[in-house]
Amino acid sequence: MQIELSPDDIETIIREADVAARRLRRRLRLPICDRADLGQELLVDLLRRLPAIDPTRGTIGAFAGLVLRNQSSRIAMRIHRQRRAQGGTVLSLDAPIAGGTEPLGCQLTEADGLAAWHGQGLCPAEDAELRHDLARALGDLPEDARLFCAALGQCPLRDLVARGVGSRTALYRRTSELRLDLTARGLGPAWDGFRAA
Amino acid sequence: MKHTAFTIARAPHPISEIEFCGWVGQAVPGDRLEYHRGFLVLDAFPAISKLPDSDRKRLALLGGRAFWAAEAGLVHLVQERVGPDHFAYIAIARPKPKAASVSLSALLLEEAAA
Repeated sequence: MQIELSPDDIETIIREADVAARRLRRRLRLPICDRADLGQELLVDLLRRLPAIDPTRGTIGAFAGLVLRNQSSRIAMRIHRQRRAQGGTVLSLDAPIAGGTEPLGCQLTEADGLAAWHGQGLCPAEDAELRHDLARALGDLPEDARLFCAALGQCPLRDLVARGVGSRTALYRRTSELRLDLTARGLGPAWDGFRAA
Repeated sequence: MKHTAFTIARAPHPISEIEFCGWVGQAVPGDRLEYHRGFLVLDAFPAISKLPDSDRKRLALLGGRAFWAAEAGLVHLVQERVGPDHFAYIAIARPKPKAASVSLSALLLEEAAA
């Protein structure tokens, strides 16, 4: 359906989308530069839905508000889902890492690995300690568990199944056992974390 | 004579296997955790236990994991009688066994070469 928009309507739509983008950026604590992207995404969705407007049921401002609110919820859910997948942090070179004020992009050098680009440990001392912890825990593990650990470090579980190392169920059970074993040796979720949760 | 003050923790809620392992991993020698209170064998036995099935299974796994940790030399397991047929089941952290460290890089290289 073709609809006609007056200059006032267009101004209303752009203003509403801008306000919604600002609100969404603030609530999601995104970097300031993301506001324009959010605004465009909201505006595109609103324009796509404009043919469904029924002037007898309300003003264009009310329609825009409703559509923008729904789209904002969808964007927020998508971003929260991404954050959960990333361990609850914002993954952006423009966002500061936990406990800092400088954006992540300002703290990285070309020599930093992929983990650093994903906002993980940047401290060489912590990295060295983790390696020592791993070496100690691996030393404590029984020989077969150690080899299984090394195999998992090289390829995913489905490849081990394909190589005939064991059945899928048996390998998942071993992985679960390995997780408990490593946790008991200090590599894994800690008691303080459980209590805090 | 000076005594070492050991941390004593009573789980604030029924704990799972992974929580128990998390405590073992973090505990220093002498730390104590009461991981169950009741009569473990009966509470974990299907026909006798008064616990809901999910809780009973959790408790059975927890009991097994505590025994595994004791066998691995990570904890001592003791019981304290608190009443008739009622015990506090306590894990006491032991010094961590000292095994030779294994080079992670060497292990991964061996696996890649295999």
